[in-house]
Amino acid sequence: MIWLVASALLFSIGAYGALTRRTAILMFLSIELMLNAAALSLVSFSKLTGSLEAQVVVLFIIAIAAAEVAVGLGLIVAIFRRRETTGVDELRQLRG
Amino acid sequence: MSIGFWEVLALLVLVGTGLAVVRLQNAVHAALALIANFLVVAGVYVALEARFVAMIQIIVYAGAIVVLFLFVIMLLSAANANVGQDLLPRLPWVAALGALGLAGVLIYAVTRFQPPANAPALGGGLPQALGPLLYDPEKWLYALLVVGFLLLVATVAAVVLIEPERIIAATSHPAHPRQDQKPSPSTGQQKDERAVVKP
Amino acid sequence: MQETFLLPLIIALPLLGFVLLGLFGKRLGEPAAGWLASLLVLGSFLLGLVLLLQGGARWALPDWLPGIPFSLHLDNLSGVMLMVVTGVGFLIHVWAIGYMHGDPGYSRFFSYFNLFIAAMLVLILGDSLPVVFIGWEGVGLASYLLIGFWYHERINVDSARKAFIVNRIGDLGFLLAMGLLWSMFGTLSISELVEKVEAGGYSFTTLTLAGFFLLVGAMGKSAQVPLMVWLPDAMAGPTPVSALIHAATMVTAGVYLLVRHAFMLHDDAYLSGLIVLIGLLTAFYGALCSLGQWDIKRIVAYTTLSQLGFMFVAVGVGAYWVAIFHIVTHAFFKALMFMTSGSVIHALGGEQDVRKMGGMRKYLPATHLHGLIATFASGGLVPLAGFWSKDAILAYSFEYGPWLWFLMLLASVLAALYSIRWYVLVFWGEYRGKEHPHESPAVMLWPNHILMVGAIGVGFMGLPYVIDYKNFIEPFLTKAIGEFPHEKLPVFTEWVLILTSALVAIAALWWGFRFFQQKMPAWYERFQAAALQGFYVDALYNALLVNPAKGLAELLFGGDKGILAGFAGLGNLMGGLGSLLARLETGALRFYLAGFVLALVLLVGWGVLR
Repeated sequence: MIWLVASALLFSIGAYGALTRRTAILMFLSIELMLNAAALSLVSFSKLTGSLEAQVVVLFIIAIAAAEVAVGLGLIVAIFRRRETTGVDELRQLRG
Repeated sequence: MSIGFWEVLALLVLVGTGLAVVRLQNAVHAALALIANFLVVAGVYVALEARFVAMIQIIVYAGAIVVLFLFVIMLLSAANANVGQDLLPRLPWVAALGALGLAGVLIYAVTRFQPPANAPALGGGLPQALGPLLYDPEKWLYALLVVGFLLLVATVAAVVLIEPERIIAATSHPAHPRQDQKPSPSTGQQKDERAVVKP
Repeated sequence: MQETFLLPLIIALPLLGFVLLGLFGKRLGEPAAGWLASLLVLGSFLLGLVLLLQGGARWALPDWLPGIPFSLHLDNLSGVMLMVVTGVGFLIHVWAIGYMHGDPGYSRFFSYFNLFIAAMLVLILGDSLPVVFIGWEGVGLASYLLIGFWYHERINVDSARKAFIVNRIGDLGFLLAMGLLWSMFGTLSISELVEKVEAGGYSFTTLTLAGFFLLVGAMGKSAQVPLMVWLPDAMAGPTPVSALIHAATMVTAGVYLLVRHAFMLHDDAYLSGLIVLIGLLTAFYGALCSLGQWDIKRIVAYTTLSQLGFMFVAVGVGAYWVAIFHIVTHAFFKALMFMTSGSVIHALGGEQDVRKMGGMRKYLPATHLHGLIATFASGGLVPLAGFWSKDAILAYSFEYGPWLWFLMLLASVLAALYSIRWYVLVFWGEYRGKEHPHESPAVMLWPNHILMVGAIGVGFMGLPYVIDYKNFIEPFLTKAIGEFPHEKLPVFTEWVLILTSALVAIAALWWGFRFFQQKMPAWYERFQAAALQGFYVDALYNALLVNPAKGLAELLFGGDKGILAGFAGLGNLMGGLGSLLARLETGALRFYLAGFVLALVLLVGWGVLR
């Protein structure tokens, strides 16, 4: 049960980081923290309910996180090449 | 499950490294804090009878992913967290409030979870237990294949994202040059090479 | 009465001409296109004549529409009309070969002309009312196309539209009549309707209503008061069009339709009375207006109106065969009158104002002779064609009531006056224009010669019974129309009427001949000014109908504008709302993320606290 609380705390901290960080890399880092928190909660539930399925899902989470990081960091590098910055507040093409 | 000394210590370390990840001003330090966090999580996984997942956590997350982060941080010389303009200077307060609210809601939610009285043993979460699940066509086999394919696509995508011009030049046919392609020295050079090779 | 496919062939010949000339007319070149069109009409004429001599024919395509066959019927009545339409039509075609010489739309003209003949034949030969209606609309279309033939000028196109729109009122009447008859009898075939009406067992009032709607249709096509305003403007078309469509054939279609439905009308005193009234009004209106016109074609157009009024009176008093008889004689002398006018216009290089004519008898001797005969026939001089048919109408009017006879006598005095006015203004006095008149070519003279013979002689087939006890046309037509027995006038009365009308016509012609050569007195100038404007009927219609309708349309348009403005306002409102929402799209990634976290808190909170 305590690990569920820990996962909740980590998730919130990650969210805080995602909001406050101003460079894309650190924002991404915070998001990884949130993802990890989610995985932790799944493993806790696996233990509490005695089901291995949740652990399998965690494996998938890790695999997909690897893919995500590859693409995400690729994007960051591509943006950096074009703009010479990793600051997310500099990117405002989406302004309505 | 009782709450002993190690549990409390692990909890404190988790929260502490987590805060370090989101507060440290040097990105390299933040990434190292994340590795520490992941290692503790891996330890927790072992305690939670998920040993295979714990190993993967260390190898992939702590070993590969965060190292990739570190690599990119150094490549782009982006260690400083305070770059560029700050459009939303008051956001940290809002973020703190939001995070607290989120934490409250989530903790409230998980404390209301009632685990079944006699949960079956997990067998230590060893590969012997997980393998049959992963490779069972009626369970996760196809998902596993799809994820494998996804990883391949993501790898190719990362390459294409970083060097698009070179990819386009390499794939376009010399007899049908692309209309949108700007004549660049590299493509010109490539064409010359082909012309040399052809006869 | 035989079943034969030759009957639709009569219609198919001019239709073929329409298609051929429409597709290849330009390639055929100038005289060939005209001759082709003329010969096809002649073919129709001969074919029709053969079938008529064999005692009529019928042909039907069963179940053309559910329950309605495409049936054609050639009996004595439609036969006479067929002879007039194709016979006179052929002559006018030939005449038009000369008249349209050099026109850039030469082959188009003859293509339309053949279309008209085909449509008119459908109208005449149709036995079921929908078939008649096809012809009815077809002649309207041809008329529209030919009035607006020189479509480069705005006024011609406007006239064409006016004719079409006014006719539409009549067409509505026709459609309503068809609907009523269908609901009453379950058939639209005229020959079956005759039997059903005789069999009885229906509401007489409804039949009157159906007859009234038919009358409205006939009024539109035959330009009767109050739907007469289109006919004078229809003179914007080339002169052969005026002669063929707006004098000899199409405008008489309304009369023909009423005569076809004599079985519905003859028992109905109210409807007949209404027809008499309308005819009387038209006869006077046309005659009076004609006396004030300066445009040579408008003069003749208004005389046509007046003569159509005569035909309506004939139908109203129950003299159906006389109405057809008058159509025949009128077709000859009015076509002659129009084509004489056309020859004069041709001779003067397109001049239509009679004030710039005069003295033509010296320049155009042959045409002068044609004009003289046309005038006498139209004015009712013994023993030309117009006299006999008019006299028959007068005799029947006397049976209907001596007051009507008197009024009709007055109308025929006016007819004599307008005829002689036209003649005097064009052919007498000194030439007032500057052109050098030249006589028409032979291709235009010969049709007029033939028409002149007709205008003199065709009346003899319908002599009054006191002279020729068994004239030709009355029993011939009544076989098809139906016998409606009436008291024949005593011999003495009949003679008195004939002599009176003959003498009155001679007196009127003589007086008019003298009067119109003088300088006009002041009262006549005043009258003329009013008549020139058609007694302000157009202005009245504009004030009463057209402008209110326009006003209503503009009001509705204003309403539409308002609605549109409302929609535009709604659009602007939504746009404003959108731009307000768009301000949320700051483009700052972390702003979106804040929203995301906020929503997460709220959703999860709602999920757990629920």
